[in-house]
Amino acid sequence: MNNQLSVQHLLGIKDLTPEDIQLIFKHADEFKDVINRPIKKVPTLREITIANMFFENSTRTKLSFELAEKRLSADVVNFSASGSSVSKGETLIDTVNNILAMKVDMVVMRHPNPGAHQFLSQHVNTTIINAGDGTHEHPTQALLDAYSMREQLGELQGKKVLIVGDIKHSRVALSNIFCLQKLGAEVMVCGPSTLIPKHIAELGVQVSHNLDEALAWCDVANMLRIQLERQGSDNHVANFPSLREYSMRFGLSKAHLDKLDKKIIVMHPGPINRGVEITSDVADSEHSIILDQVENGVAVRMAVIFLLAAKIKRN
Amino acid sequence: MRWIIQSALILDPKGKHHNKVRDVLIENGIIQDIKSSLKAEKEDRLINAKGMNLSLGWIDLKANFRDPGFEYKEGLLNGLDAAAKGGFTRVLCMPSTLPAIDSKAQVVYLRSRSAGHAVDLLPAGCISQGGKGQQMSEMFDMMSVGAVAFSDDKPIERTALMNRSLDYSRELDVPLMSICMDPDLADGGVMHEGKMSNSLGLKGIPSVAEEIRVAREIEVLRYSGGKLHLMLLSSKRAVEMVRKAKKEGLNITAGVAAQQLCFTDKDLASFDSNLKVLPPFREESDRLALIKGLKDGTIDVICSNHEPENIENKKREFEHAAFGNSTIEAAFSLICKGSAEKLGIDQIVHALAIGPRQVLGDEQQSIELGNKAEFTLFSADVSSEYTKDSWISKSLNSSIIGQTLPGKVYGIVNGEQLVLQED
Repeated sequence: MNNQLSVQHLLGIKDLTPEDIQLIFKHADEFKDVINRPIKKVPTLREITIANMFFENSTRTKLSFELAEKRLSADVVNFSASGSSVSKGETLIDTVNNILAMKVDMVVMRHPNPGAHQFLSQHVNTTIINAGDGTHEHPTQALLDAYSMREQLGELQGKKVLIVGDIKHSRVALSNIFCLQKLGAEVMVCGPSTLIPKHIAELGVQVSHNLDEALAWCDVANMLRIQLERQGSDNHVANFPSLREYSMRFGLSKAHLDKLDKKIIVMHPGPINRGVEITSDVADSEHSIILDQVENGVAVRMAVIFLLAAKIKRN
Repeated sequence: MRWIIQSALILDPKGKHHNKVRDVLIENGIIQDIKSSLKAEKEDRLINAKGMNLSLGWIDLKANFRDPGFEYKEGLLNGLDAAAKGGFTRVLCMPSTLPAIDSKAQVVYLRSRSAGHAVDLLPAGCISQGGKGQQMSEMFDMMSVGAVAFSDDKPIERTALMNRSLDYSRELDVPLMSICMDPDLADGGVMHEGKMSNSLGLKGIPSVAEEIRVAREIEVLRYSGGKLHLMLLSSKRAVEMVRKAKKEGLNITAGVAAQQLCFTDKDLASFDSNLKVLPPFREESDRLALIKGLKDGTIDVICSNHEPENIENKKREFEHAAFGNSTIEAAFSLICKGSAEKLGIDQIVHALAIGPRQVLGDEQQSIELGNKAEFTLFSADVSSEYTKDSWISKSLNSSIIGQTLPGKVYGIVNGEQLVLQED
């Protein structure tokens, strides 16, 4: 196996090769050992400074990145702006260049606009990790999801993964689709037709509007959060009539799981709306690997940062 | 003042010199003679057009020069210079300025500011007062000082306004120019809705947003009469609807932007904001349907849809970037790149020179003695290099800069004015 990534940045799963993904997993295995030791830290990136730039709210992704950076001994600075730089009058390029001028080596960025990272990579000189760009990609989430599935199921070739919920507004869904397909898994999306993009089947995924049938098909069910903030406003016709009706049709409960003649794995990228996408008895059950996902998130992000930093050092 | 254009291959589908190599004698802006060989007098200015095509001057039926109000994006005179480079002898200038062109005084401003330029500026006035889409503007008054068409340069929300304006325009015998997009269905989209928008996570504008408005315009036209020109078709179903309406004998014409023949939604994979345009680039099957529409006469006109934007509006995140591509000086190359093989040069000339004259009701649709000399000199077989340094438009928001594309414009003749491109 090659020991370096084929890319300079992590802009999206789209740009990674299957070998890149395996390489990240291999390093994540090692870093998972590290973070379970009494001293959870390695000195590897002492000379690297990383800026976490979050132009959109985030709690867990930001925390996960920050811990990953600190456990690699990188110096970390945090920048948060509610809303985008645009609303403050400064352009994104200027904002980032200002921070880079303080001798920062790598930028981890979350931004509300699809393609913002790709745009930035064309105009500034730094290594960029995408921590979510609008409804486009969230590559580290997809990597940690696939990594967590692999822990349970072994290699994902031929495995069946179901993604349930708000596919239309979800960067997690898109990155998951790209990642799982690169690893040879089959993907099905399930939800009301208004939350599933019209042309999604052209990306090679199956579509279902019946949760029971979809659950019977899958090995893993990844329940996405309903993004309440994206569902409707005064000028916008909402995508479904009520949360009550949504959870009646697409909420995962213990009753669904009991009907199955097999054990499936239940995932959720968080934060959970308990009682909407998933009931408490499922979230807290043996089916659920939700907290493993969180733990693996740190290890996978350490692997990504480590591998990209290695490219900076080489240059 | 006598000029002789020598040895040009005349492309004049409706004229008698079509496809023949000719010398053309122009005296004080009037065509005096066309022969296979003309004897020059000593003081005649000779223009060697060997290897060049000569057609009626091209007319761009949709360009924005952003003047008054946004002169830093283009300006009238700069825009007309860019148009000359693009081979256009007349440009229909959109009224979506600040203030919007909705009164006689503003039309007079456009006419007087552009007077004397080699390219004629044809003012389009707003259909509605202030372009606000509520009440009709003074169309008759604006026509009295030279407005030749009306458009709000954006979709007209109110069906009643479209209906009333078409009805009112009947007696004025003037074309109304519509942009078909239902903003409610477009719903904040930034590119064509399809596999590509899914994969880029960008909000899509479905084709139906255009089609539903094309259907509305056709039915309103059928009801109220008038002359309707749909400026920017982009979807294959829209082409089909216009084809059917024409068959039924409705007074409808249609246009397509040059760039629409060249790009599809796949070209947005790198989030290049210069390709963020309205209507959005759709799929290959749409692009082919547009070319077919030009071929069978469903689409009458190719326009530049020139939309200059300052860098601050373009060099930013795709969702925040303004719509628009600066195209007027390279429109011919975009056409050649996108459709030369399928369309053939006669059809291209038709869509640039004859179709627009038909839309405007101009009866001079061929090259004839005694007419004003209004020509474009060009070749589809020679390519052009578009660089930042040679770019005339004030705005650099163009996907064309840095490229060498097929098609070259050598110059224009417009009455007593001659603009030849250097090199």
